[in-house]
Amino acid sequence: MGNYLFTQPFFKKNGKAVAIYFLVAIVFWFVFLVIIPQLYMLDLSFRSNVPPLARGGPQDYYTMEHYQHFVFGSKTSLDAFNFVDLGVFGRTILVSIVVTIANLLFCYPIAFYIAKIANPSTARLLIVSLIIPFWINELLRSFALRILFANEGVINNFLTGIGVIDQSILFITYDIGLYTGLVYAYILLMMFPLYNAIESLDINQIEAAKDLGSSSLRTHWRIVIPHAKPGIVSGCTMVFMLTVGALATPVVLSSPNTLWFPQLIYQWFNMNDNWSRGSAYSIILLIISVIFVLAMMRIFKVKIGEIIK
Amino acid sequence: MKSTYFINFMMGMYIFIFFAYLFGPLIIMSITAFNSAEFPSISPWECFSFRWFNEGKIAYDGQHLAGLLSDWRLHDGIISSLIIGAGVVSLSVPIGMAAAIVLTQVRSQLRDIYYSISIMPVLFPGVIIGISTVVLWDRIAGLGGDGFISDVGRNGIFLTILAQTCFISTYCFLIFVARLQRFDQTQEEAALDLGATQTQVFFKILVPYLMPAIASAAVIAFLFSFENYNTTVFSILSDQTLTTVIASKVRLGISPALSALALTIIALTVIAAVTYEILRRRSEKKYAQSQEIFVKEKAASGRINKEYKAGFKVPKGIVAILLILVFATYAATQIVKNDLYGQSCIDAADQEKKSKFLEQLQTLESNELTEEELSGGSLGGTEDYGDIFGDPSLFQDFGGFD
Repeated sequence: MGNYLFTQPFFKKNGKAVAIYFLVAIVFWFVFLVIIPQLYMLDLSFRSNVPPLARGGPQDYYTMEHYQHFVFGSKTSLDAFNFVDLGVFGRTILVSIVVTIANLLFCYPIAFYIAKIANPSTARLLIVSLIIPFWINELLRSFALRILFANEGVINNFLTGIGVIDQSILFITYDIGLYTGLVYAYILLMMFPLYNAIESLDINQIEAAKDLGSSSLRTHWRIVIPHAKPGIVSGCTMVFMLTVGALATPVVLSSPNTLWFPQLIYQWFNMNDNWSRGSAYSIILLIISVIFVLAMMRIFKVKIGEIIK
Repeated sequence: MKSTYFINFMMGMYIFIFFAYLFGPLIIMSITAFNSAEFPSISPWECFSFRWFNEGKIAYDGQHLAGLLSDWRLHDGIISSLIIGAGVVSLSVPIGMAAAIVLTQVRSQLRDIYYSISIMPVLFPGVIIGISTVVLWDRIAGLGGDGFISDVGRNGIFLTILAQTCFISTYCFLIFVARLQRFDQTQEEAALDLGATQTQVFFKILVPYLMPAIASAAVIAFLFSFENYNTTVFSILSDQTLTTVIASKVRLGISPALSALALTIIALTVIAAVTYEILRRRSEKKYAQSQEIFVKEKAASGRINKEYKAGFKVPKGIVAILLILVFATYAATQIVKNDLYGQSCIDAADQEKKSKFLEQLQTLESNELTEEELSGGSLGGTEDYGDIFGDPSLFQDFGGFD
């Protein structure tokens, strides 16, 4: 371990025993837990689907068939493209973007209120009460919404009871429950980066803007939002990534005849036993995630270190 | 000014709606846990009961709906979740600590790359981490023959610990980085000057300084592990954890036993949050008092000695608590007045359902078709279809059945 990597000689700086512990821990993490599994999955996604015993045999060859299946569908189908899978994919991306924007719009006023308007004890109380739902399992939070939105659920029973509607509204079938649940699931991961970013803004800047005659809308647009940009980017990235990769909420809330993209991966993997195709679809999901992060970093000119703190 | 009042009012309304959105579903779910009906609901209120916390019920059609105490699958799931949590904590906390300390030592040119790799696992979708771990270890198990390696590689609990450690280490890493940023390097130098070895510095200076971070990293790691679903559902293979048990239950149909489970978790969370808040306030108060004493001692003339009145201030939260109390009393009186509680009520409801069910059964039985009806008669029988299979050349193209 020369001086190329470290500011001081590594073994001398830490002592032999501790240095070995550091190296073992980091190599174990980076290599065995992060890099090798991903590379192996990438390799598997280009291989034909064979039972474990036939691995390495003549049936085990490199192929693009899984990616082709994603775009063009199975060889026996008559459609030009795989409209089902592409549709699921497109819908997942689109809904995730809408969910992210909705989260940002919902959270901004609250974050600003807690950070700049509320007095410290109120702010403290609000923050603690924001954290509480976050520690409840995502599945159980979705389940709570399921109770509300089910066909015989609380909302439908209430509305029928007071006579607004005479037939149940199919919240689950039309995926209204799913969209509400996705907004609900990760809203706090938008709230906290936003709050932290706005909190660090000097209140004098806002007052100076006000004194100079700026309207409050303009103050937000020109002062608060530019200052909170890293928080906004961070929150949006986290929410988008988690929404695109969500499995727990769709399992509980999506209607039986629509799928979320990770559910599609789950099907290839666990129900159809086609691990190669499941891996290929995972790689597609991973690529989209990476593209999104890079795009956010490029558009808003922030570093990756600012996204996750 | 009138407009500021209006804006404040709107803001208050918005905050109220937002928190209603956050808490409303949870509160309604908690209430459904006490309804004795099989479907979690409020408005057709059957009886007030604790059955979903105890042994559940046997439905009128003989189906057994387990409650919290009697559900052995849930208990097995909790046990394996605890084992996995312990494994993840004991792996990811040391890994996160090592990575964070090394971050302070790498050259500044490399620091960005090193940091990016460290936080990458959080940006991977959880399903991908689970899948990649499983496919890799399945391959390793396949290469290892029938021995120990093959057993390990197909052990769901072991794989889940590895997969969760992959990204939970990053959360630990971030906690340690935040703490290390405030570390005073001169402490280390002082220890070295006084003749300590590097190893001693690590164990006597750095680790004690990092102790609060170790504690919070352990708590965070455990909680993340305990509630993870996306990664676990792939890596657990044929075993079950708490979350996968919940998911399979929800898929089979929703039951108030899940509401009871959720309410238990909510209660534990709220108790933990309140305890933490009280402890924090107490330590803050102590700190403030010690500061005050310090200031007073310094200003010996006593000019700053203020008189403190032990004023009693009504906390704002009391309004909310009173509202909840009023609502609870109202609900309780309604329940008592309409006799919607206790064993007698449950028995009556069950009896009613059973008789309804039997009635339906009888209707079905009385509707059963007679032999004559099936072979024609009033239902038409085969007449409508004529003799469509009578054509001898029908299956010739097909090649026949032999």
